[in-house]
Amino acid sequence: MIYLDNETISYENNIVLNSISLSIQEGEKVALLGKSGSGKSTLLKSIYHSHSLNCSYIPQELGLVNNLSVFHNVYISRLDKNSSFYNIRNLLIPIQKEKDIIKPILDALYMEEFMFKKIDELSGGQKQRTAIARAILQNNKILLADEPISALDEVVTKQVLSQIQKSFNTIVCALHNVDVALEYFDRVIGIKDGTIVLDKKCSDITSIDTQKLYHVCDDQF
Amino acid sequence: MTSSKNLNVTLIFLFVFVVCFFYADFSISTLDPSSEIKHFFSGLLDINILHIPNYFEAILNTIFIAVLAIFFSTVFGFIFSLYMKSTIVRVILAFMRSIHELFWALLFLQIFGLSTLTALFAIVIPYSATLGKVYAEILEEYEVFPKELEPLNSSRVSTFLYTKLPDAIPHLISYTLYRFECALKSTAILGFVGLTTLGYYLHGAFMQGYYADVWLLLLIFYFIIASLKVWFTKYSAPLWLIGGFLYLDNFGGFSWHNFVRFITNDIVPSPIRKNQSIEQTYQWFENIALNEIMPGIFNTIVLTQVALIITALFALLTYPLISKKFVNKSCFVGSSFLMVVLRSTPEYILAYFFLQIFGPSMLPAVIALSLHNGAIIAYIMGQQSDEVKLRIDSTNRKAELYLYEITPRIYGSFLAFLFYRWEVIMRESAILGILGIATLGFFVDSAIADIRLDKVVILLFFTALLNILVDFISRYVRSYLKINTTVKSSCDLI
Repeated sequence: MIYLDNETISYENNIVLNSISLSIQEGEKVALLGKSGSGKSTLLKSIYHSHSLNCSYIPQELGLVNNLSVFHNVYISRLDKNSSFYNIRNLLIPIQKEKDIIKPILDALYMEEFMFKKIDELSGGQKQRTAIARAILQNNKILLADEPISALDEVVTKQVLSQIQKSFNTIVCALHNVDVALEYFDRVIGIKDGTIVLDKKCSDITSIDTQKLYHVCDDQF
Repeated sequence: MTSSKNLNVTLIFLFVFVVCFFYADFSISTLDPSSEIKHFFSGLLDINILHIPNYFEAILNTIFIAVLAIFFSTVFGFIFSLYMKSTIVRVILAFMRSIHELFWALLFLQIFGLSTLTALFAIVIPYSATLGKVYAEILEEYEVFPKELEPLNSSRVSTFLYTKLPDAIPHLISYTLYRFECALKSTAILGFVGLTTLGYYLHGAFMQGYYADVWLLLLIFYFIIASLKVWFTKYSAPLWLIGGFLYLDNFGGFSWHNFVRFITNDIVPSPIRKNQSIEQTYQWFENIALNEIMPGIFNTIVLTQVALIITALFALLTYPLISKKFVNKSCFVGSSFLMVVLRSTPEYILAYFFLQIFGPSMLPAVIALSLHNGAIIAYIMGQQSDEVKLRIDSTNRKAELYLYEITPRIYGSFLAFLFYRWEVIMRESAILGILGIATLGFFVDSAIADIRLDKVVILLFFTALLNILVDFISRYVRSYLKINTTVKSSCDLI
């Protein structure tokens, strides 16, 4: 379903991705592990650009509009479903039908009470969940997410990840937490300096692999 | 490297200043300036607040015209901002804003006479162009929403309204409010050419030497500006707007006949109108070029460059007075007050005042331009110097602090502010010609008095061209100095 063949990307003579080949099957839930600057974000972006039609994408900086409410930020994914006039009306006074569509998604992410709060007033974790809700509303099969749960606590992480798994058939998610990756995903890919250093099904991971992953994700090395 | 670039630019402009200084005429032609000053300030003691009701109409006229003008300017400015990528739009807007609102007023007086329409056109044309330019810059700064997240088939309007406008809007509003304050000043000034705003009565009181009334009008003006945030809020703004449409009834001055005559006859160069030969046309133009355009441009440049450097000196010398690092609280409050007064008094009024004292020469114009613009720059520099973080062991001696610690640190942004103001100083230098200094405004004013509108249009064209040139050089210098000022800090200077 997702293929990359010998993908190399460099910026100003720095190689960010070094001839990466990758294939991800439909239904797989893949965690990308690596420290910041390892090339995870670039990899996600390049997957997005080659499969943009049926992908929901959550960038690391989330891409939220600070001065709009959670409701309107989530609604942005439905802008193309309605006419401009309808969108303007909904911007001024939220339309009941749209509220009915968006509320259950926010409920499931423990965000119902923040529906009409501005993004400016939210914590980091609440902002991340807003971006996730927006991605879910897009109703795509594939999710590409860049560190979407880094600011969530354990309980919420569990709930949010189960919602994501329910909503998307195939997931590629950049993380830096090895334990979360091993617990909630089917497959882990470790990236270091733009190359894949480990690519295994979670069920096949040995304790040496785990050590290696910890090493790959540790910013101190 | 940057500091040597700062030095280069400073030296070049100082050199130009010295050359210009020799050509500038600073003579004092009044017999006894000091008694005139005494006379003026003694007027402060004779203020009669019972005269306020006499000016109610002028106050309402000023406010309502400014409200309507900023309303239309905002609407048009916003539309322009969406088309700023087009070169033609940019060129047209550059011309619209490089001609001073008083020049526009003089021109529209010929079509609409002394009516609200003249005032509105005079302000809306340059203001909508400026707003369009700045709005476009602000919107560009907020172009941060990831392209990947825009739904593929959504309309541009929807995407704009949801992903760009919401974050930009507070900034757009604050700039518009700043421009509204400017519009109030401009509207007041329009009184000097006969529209019945505050400037009309100010002009009259000045002419007759009723200095107590001059003070009263100035105080009313300061009060309106200072209390702006109280009487103009998001709730009252719509009421002011509706009130403006109801109160200002003098829209009827429009005569289609006048307009057609203006376009097809008045502004057509007279040799063409009279079907004269190309040679005669050329001679006509050469005559204007040699006797009016060239000397006008020369004097405008001389005045601008002299005023620019005096402005710079004034700002450099006075900014410590509004910096908490240099002065104590009471001095800070006192000098801030003085700076706000200088900032709020339009150059034109200051120039008019100094003209009464010193008589017509470049002196009153230079003083007026330098005080007003210097105060604006000093004010921002004072704020900046307060933000400078010094080492714990830095010197306590004020002179060392000024020369070695603070001034070098803010010198780069000081130059940026100065170059932002350069264009404004140039525009004002041209307009001050109306007061009798032989800059471009002088020739425009004389041509209007002679009802030679074809000449007016040519003179205005060159005035605009000169301004656009200065804007271009200023932009070049700023990029040479690599000064990164954000749109936010530059906004209050444009």
